[in-house]
Amino acid sequence: MRFKSIQAKVLIALVICLVLGTGCVVELMHYFTAENSRALGTEAATGSQKLFTILEAREISKMTAVSDALIANTGVRDAFAARDRSRLLALTAPLYPQLKSEGITNWMFHTSEPDMSVFLRLHNPAKFGDHLNRFMDKEVVRTHAIVAGNELAKAGFAVRIIRPVYDAKGAVTGYLEFGEELGQFIHALKSQTGNDYGLLLNKKFIDKQFWADSSATLKRRDNWDDNAGFVVADRTTANDNIIRFHGDLATVPQLGTVLEQYRDANSVFVRAIFPIRDAAGNTVGAMFVVRDITAVYAEMRKTQNILLAVTVASLSIGILLMLMLLNRFIFKRLQRILTAATRLVGGDFETEIKTDSDDEVGQLEHLFEQFRNIFVTVMAEISETQVSK
Amino acid sequence: MSQLYDLKVLIEAKIAAGGLDSAEVRGKIALKAGRLLSFISPNTPDDPAGVAKLKQAIKDVLNINA
Repeated sequence: MRFKSIQAKVLIALVICLVLGTGCVVELMHYFTAENSRALGTEAATGSQKLFTILEAREISKMTAVSDALIANTGVRDAFAARDRSRLLALTAPLYPQLKSEGITNWMFHTSEPDMSVFLRLHNPAKFGDHLNRFMDKEVVRTHAIVAGNELAKAGFAVRIIRPVYDAKGAVTGYLEFGEELGQFIHALKSQTGNDYGLLLNKKFIDKQFWADSSATLKRRDNWDDNAGFVVADRTTANDNIIRFHGDLATVPQLGTVLEQYRDANSVFVRAIFPIRDAAGNTVGAMFVVRDITAVYAEMRKTQNILLAVTVASLSIGILLMLMLLNRFIFKRLQRILTAATRLVGGDFETEIKTDSDDEVGQLEHLFEQFRNIFVTVMAEISETQVSK
Repeated sequence: MSQLYDLKVLIEAKIAAGGLDSAEVRGKIALKAGRLLSFISPNTPDDPAGVAKLKQAIKDVLNINA
């Protein structure tokens, strides 16, 4: 087959089609794999966000129920109304270990407005008299109703409820607060979803010295300087890949976003993030979600390879079939005409082109045969003329 | 005898010696030279261009320098 022949050109064109077709399929596969990974990441983020909300609501209900029982206790109510710290501590301290085992880490009584200072901290009884001046404090004073939500204190982030406490005459004597550190939520999330989590808090809302003090209290390394804009409050894995983030936490979309898919050793993960808002609606932090998609990814790659093999095989068979058809219906017949024409010029007047086809090449074959007959006649006449001379 | 006729004889000899397909070889040479070998006789007058073309055709088809 000569390089300049139509057959060679067609073959080159078909091979190019094969390469392009395969390339398109590969690109399409990569696109769908990326989209599937993204969908898995989105699912992990939205699922975790929903679960987080459910856990949060459940803990708020629990703290509300405990507070209901507590303010119904006349001994506690009267000791608080009388501002008898020792008696209040004596009555409530035995309950604290039990509540703590249920996750309630913060328990405070606040005096009423306008002073509104901490009267008693069950989780740190030696410290009292300070003014917290947080959004939820202001809200409970304004509404005199239960206020619940997340709030970032100087040392950490907790889901809290704060509610008014009334004396026997129905006057507000102060406020009762329960709180649960959000850090413990991520371990509950991990146990339910299998994903890994990392809770980030925006430094803008935290006091550096307080963070250092609380780190010392909790026997946690002071990680303030590890990242520029945020601190890692807690995480379910020691792997640093979980907390790679260079954006602004405040710009994380409400429904969360998928950050990336990455490989670590032989595993494939997808990383997503969703915002954590406080009771005032500020984005004070974010939750990283890392989902191990190794098994799904392996399945996707397997499907991808099968599809690729099937595509290449079917395209190759198609090309082979097309070449066979072209060869049979065009190239061989053209070659036969070329050979007959050459032989005719060389003196072989007997090589006929027989055809019953009426396609384009068939028309050429008919035409050639007519030319051949004319040529033979002319040659015979010339020979006769030469003989007669 | 003309040079053209000598070349024709040479072609015939090569075909006979090599047991080649006469019609095919003659046809190829004729198409390349633009001249039917059947019309070349001892009396065919030479023309330099025709001779050159025939020599080139012989070289192309039979790979010999005539």
